[in-house]
Amino acid sequence: MNKGNVISVDNLLGIKDLTAADINLILDTAVGFKDILQRPIKKVPTLRDTTIVNLFYENSTRTKISFELAEKRLGADIVNFAASSSSLKKGETLIDTVQNILSMKVDMVVMRHSASGAPHFLSNHIDAAIVNAGDGTNEHPTQALLDSFSMREAQGNLKGKKVAIIGDISHSRVALSNIFCLKKLGAKVVVCGPPTLIPKHIQSLGVDVSYNVQETLEWCDIANVLRIQLERQDMPLFSSLREYALQFGIDKKMLDGLKKEITLMHPGPINRGVELSSDAADSAHSIILDQVQNGVAVRMAVLFLLAQKNKSLADSLA
Amino acid sequence: MTILIKQATLLSPNSKHHRKKRDLYIKNGRIEKIGASLRVKATKTIEAKGLCVSNGWKDIFADFCDPGFEHKEDIQSGIATAKAGGYTGVCIIPNTEPTISSKSQVDYIIKQCAQSGVDLIPIGAVSKNIEGQQLAEMYDMSHTGAKVFSDGKKSIQSAGLLLKALQYLKTIDATLIQIPDTTSISANGQMNEGEQSTALGMTGIPAIAEHLQIQRDITLCEYAESKIHFTGISTKKSVEIINAAKKRGVNVSCSVSPYHLIYTDKNLASYDANFKIFPPLRSEQEKKYLVKALKEGKIDGIASHHTPQDIDAKKVEFAYAKEGLISLQYILPILIEAGLNAEEIAIAAQGAYKIVTGTSATIEEGAKADLTLFSLTGTSEVSKETNHSKSYNTPLQGATVKGQIIGTILGNQNNIL
Repeated sequence: MNKGNVISVDNLLGIKDLTAADINLILDTAVGFKDILQRPIKKVPTLRDTTIVNLFYENSTRTKISFELAEKRLGADIVNFAASSSSLKKGETLIDTVQNILSMKVDMVVMRHSASGAPHFLSNHIDAAIVNAGDGTNEHPTQALLDSFSMREAQGNLKGKKVAIIGDISHSRVALSNIFCLKKLGAKVVVCGPPTLIPKHIQSLGVDVSYNVQETLEWCDIANVLRIQLERQDMPLFSSLREYALQFGIDKKMLDGLKKEITLMHPGPINRGVELSSDAADSAHSIILDQVQNGVAVRMAVLFLLAQKNKSLADSLA
Repeated sequence: MTILIKQATLLSPNSKHHRKKRDLYIKNGRIEKIGASLRVKATKTIEAKGLCVSNGWKDIFADFCDPGFEHKEDIQSGIATAKAGGYTGVCIIPNTEPTISSKSQVDYIIKQCAQSGVDLIPIGAVSKNIEGQQLAEMYDMSHTGAKVFSDGKKSIQSAGLLLKALQYLKTIDATLIQIPDTTSISANGQMNEGEQSTALGMTGIPAIAEHLQIQRDITLCEYAESKIHFTGISTKKSVEIINAAKKRGVNVSCSVSPYHLIYTDKNLASYDANFKIFPPLRSEQEKKYLVKALKEGKIDGIASHHTPQDIDAKKVEFAYAKEGLISLQYILPILIEAGLNAEEIAIAAQGAYKIVTGTSATIEEGAKADLTLFSLTGTSEVSKETNHSKSYNTPLQGATVKGQIIGTILGNQNNIL
């Protein structure tokens, strides 16, 4: 349970494990950190004694930079580890790699991995706090938190807000974390895309399904458009990017033709001309760059709250 | 050597003593005498609370990993596991290295089980090296002792090859065993497709991958007028399709793995690789139905799907973990947990073997002693020390389980625990 300003979990493995109070606590804490980021001196010494390893088993540019910045802004010592330069290629197991790093006294692990559940597996075997920076097709919790933070900034309280998630839902950890987060905050959610990119049982998560992007845009207050993940598809799920763009792509004309102003989001990187045209991505509807900026503040909040939780736990044991 | 078993409930549907409380006197590997109360002297006398004696249990689908993967299991550890689980016969799947696809491999296994107290029946591969391309030398293997044929864990995908195999096997009146799976649909799947896979962000294996192949294979079997057995079926619909075919006279039968009777896809919530099996654990509803269908005889029996995996194959990320669980030693407690009574357990533990080989033990005077002695009372701890397999990949680790295997008797060999 969330007691006041303490988060209920020891690790951030997924939004699934968080309460609505946890989510609000993270988002509220992030507001303060965002203020700090606007100051001339953007650094606080909150995690001065904390060492964090960024363990990236899968390529990442923006998430990794965002976490690194968040860690540096909080004054933490950081170690970076990427699969390409690692002992992974020498056949070392995940547990061995992490235990080797932890024996050098690391307090937190930020991990990205291509296998769903990898951080959950790791959390059963090590003591350090784990922050999931994306696991396979499961969750990307900090992305969902920064998305909700950005939505809240743009449209206020999310209770009753209509949010559409458009694109490749099947292969997207962003979609799943967003669904959990938005449902916990009381938003209504529709997922939209070709049926081959939508899990058959997605409605069991309390969302509706649409195959028509125009109707979905007309319904929603916020459209979170996802990247078409070509790299995750080893079976033909749609015929061509051209056809996808014609059927599900969003351009500025469509947004301008709507009866109400909607907020347009994208977790990046954008396939310009596929899911979003350039004129839509760069339009006034778009808060895509705000999302990036908010990412640092939200990740600072997550790292801070987990460090605080683990410290209070350690203090209570001492 | 003489053995006297006192006041046991006999469970042998093909015997006139079925369900009766009897004394059993065994001499020189044969059942010499059965009576309400026998007054004979014996070298060994067995009495136990709630003692049941049934026809020796037989498994039709276990992996003993030998040759090729002896660090996981070998023939001797497999035999010890079988005995501890109450089994007197085990059919071994051919997914070894090299595969059981020639008579020399069949011979290698049979020679090692002589006088062990467990009959090992190698399952001959249907296709050469289990590659799914050419027919293996099944006649040659059958002359050496292979009674059933299967590509084991690898489901035969080519309809053409399966048809030829079913036709070919008619000459020797042998049954072909398939794990039903349409791999072009189940590809990359890691668990049952459903609410749970959606919530866990894992690629699901839809039940239609199983149904489609059962339907296809039944059509082929009907055309070939041959015999097929589906093992590891995991859904109500599979049972219905198979029973509908049975009704119209197709020679088809099926078995279920024990873990599908007590676990569901909900057990995967923490990504515990000890629940990673194929066919995957399905929903609570399917689990309940499978138990009911087994009790009603719509499923012909249990197949252990005993799959030893070393710790390194399981203590990794779920996606990289190997499938399968050990089970042969724990069939009794699993069936008790599933809610089967002693008679249902005795039937389930040999029913699949009876149907795929057409042979069965019986408890009659003069018959060869082929017996499993067990009790539903008492408990035991599952621990590394009591586990006979070389591997310990089971969700039952550390559990206190119900029931006791008192022992097995096969001819002159007895293993009273």
